[in-house]
Amino acid sequence: MRKLFTPENNWTFLQPLLMSMEHCARCHTCSEACHVYEESGRDPLYRPAYRSEIFRRIYHKYIINGSTFSHGDVDLNWKTVSRLIELAYRCNLCRRCAQTCPIGADNALLAREIRKVASQEMGITSKECHDDGSMLQLTVGSSTGMNALVVKDNLEFIDEDTSEKTGIKVETPWDKEGADILLLHNAGEIMAWPENPGAFAVLLNAAGLSWTLSSDIAAYDGINYGVWYDDVQFARVAILHAQAAKKLKVKKIVIGECGHAHKALTVIADKVLTGDLNIPRESAFTVLHEIVKSGRIKFDKSRNDFPVTLHDPCNVVRLMGIVRPQREIIKAIVPENRYHPMTPEGIHNYCCGGGSGFAIMSGHNFSDWRHHVAGRRKFRQILEAFQGEPMDKDHPKYVCAPCSNCKGQIRDIIKYYEAWEKAGIHYGGLVELMVNAMVDAKPGYIDWEWH
Amino acid sequence: MAMFKAGDIELEIDEDGFIQEPDKWTEGIATALAVTEGVDDLTDRHWKLVRYLREYYLKFGVAPMIRKLCKDTGFKLNEVYEMFPTGPAKGACKVAGLPKPTGCV
Repeated sequence: MRKLFTPENNWTFLQPLLMSMEHCARCHTCSEACHVYEESGRDPLYRPAYRSEIFRRIYHKYIINGSTFSHGDVDLNWKTVSRLIELAYRCNLCRRCAQTCPIGADNALLAREIRKVASQEMGITSKECHDDGSMLQLTVGSSTGMNALVVKDNLEFIDEDTSEKTGIKVETPWDKEGADILLLHNAGEIMAWPENPGAFAVLLNAAGLSWTLSSDIAAYDGINYGVWYDDVQFARVAILHAQAAKKLKVKKIVIGECGHAHKALTVIADKVLTGDLNIPRESAFTVLHEIVKSGRIKFDKSRNDFPVTLHDPCNVVRLMGIVRPQREIIKAIVPENRYHPMTPEGIHNYCCGGGSGFAIMSGHNFSDWRHHVAGRRKFRQILEAFQGEPMDKDHPKYVCAPCSNCKGQIRDIIKYYEAWEKAGIHYGGLVELMVNAMVDAKPGYIDWEWH
Repeated sequence: MAMFKAGDIELEIDEDGFIQEPDKWTEGIATALAVTEGVDDLTDRHWKLVRYLREYYLKFGVAPMIRKLCKDTGFKLNEVYEMFPTGPAKGACKVAGLPKPTGCV
């Protein structure tokens, strides 16, 4: 823990860490903002400031030898440490608490710093994040276990399938040197939601953009699980992403519908990438918005004649402030009276409950906790957004969740609460909704029966 | 780690019941694993799916995309769920002796 407070060992987050350690008025404004605390039945353990307070006491007592009278006392033993680490994995790192804090303390950052000490110094983390996540990506090429051969084979299948569905011939370009854009998909999309990379290919081709995928190790998987728990793993993956872009001499990297990839490569990677590795990076949302504005693709809103609500992935919206582009796109492809905003929405929207790696964790009873506590607020927001609509299977509704992690979590809560069977609630990304309304494509891109 | 017994064979399983050494898979183990997924009787249709998964895994070292599985075997997704109520990734892959799927899937 001492190392966290030295610049050479914490080149990523030392400054915000110090600020958050020094400043907390214990006003608990953050508690009200936290969906985990609220939906747990206000269990004080889940207050965003609780784990921070324990961490602060350890810091003041053992690191800077401050007064326990003014800062509070705590015994440093295994029970304290292990419970603190567990608590750090009961936070979605959505940073809604940091957003609401009147003095800017970032409790989510502290939760991640705790995870970081646990991983980097004690080797304690979740198997899904590390062994089956970042390690698999660094050794095989993707957290899904796909090597370059498999991913190309899968994309070939997706190209065929998409061509058949849309009536538009699709061919995904691989390793095209000198392309303008290197597109980074979350490889989970390729495995579990192939209609997403398929729709991206249709749209980028139709807009006449010059783009490519890379088959280099780690570069066909935009994920970087290090953002959840480990700076070293984070840096290793971020560098591989940038190296692949440099090798192909692309003008910029564009990040597909993956919120954590946005956080990793567009925001935090600024601390890692220097010189010619510091290649411009952009969100797919703004690229897609430009395409819609340009008028190069014609959309027929009437093809999306069903209720649509929009989820805001924390790392794209709250963190990066990308709010309008996806809404402008929705405006262009969904009839006005069919769009039902969530409450609250935009930068104040809630996390899906799957953030920070939860969506891929299901060991022991963790999925129960994810359905009942972390994901409960999102599910309620979805139901409220569709209020007034006939709630049955004959009236399909679409939760647009433009982020793989959010999609995984929303799929799981829809399944758990039987929301398709009982209320006709389905989910998907943004590009699928765009292709569904594309005049030049065959109608019916969204497959309502695919569950 | 927990152990799974099928006849004379004993295999390590993770907390979700996936076997840890996919190489040691046999048809007998598949039958026993199926029971843990609520499938007491593996019909020819079940075996068609299980063998497809097994062959794909041995060739590529990873589970196939579910869409590919449906297209190649001719089963619709709801038919897969009818055969394996916990679904293709959890139920069918487990019975075929594949490791638990990883990544954002």
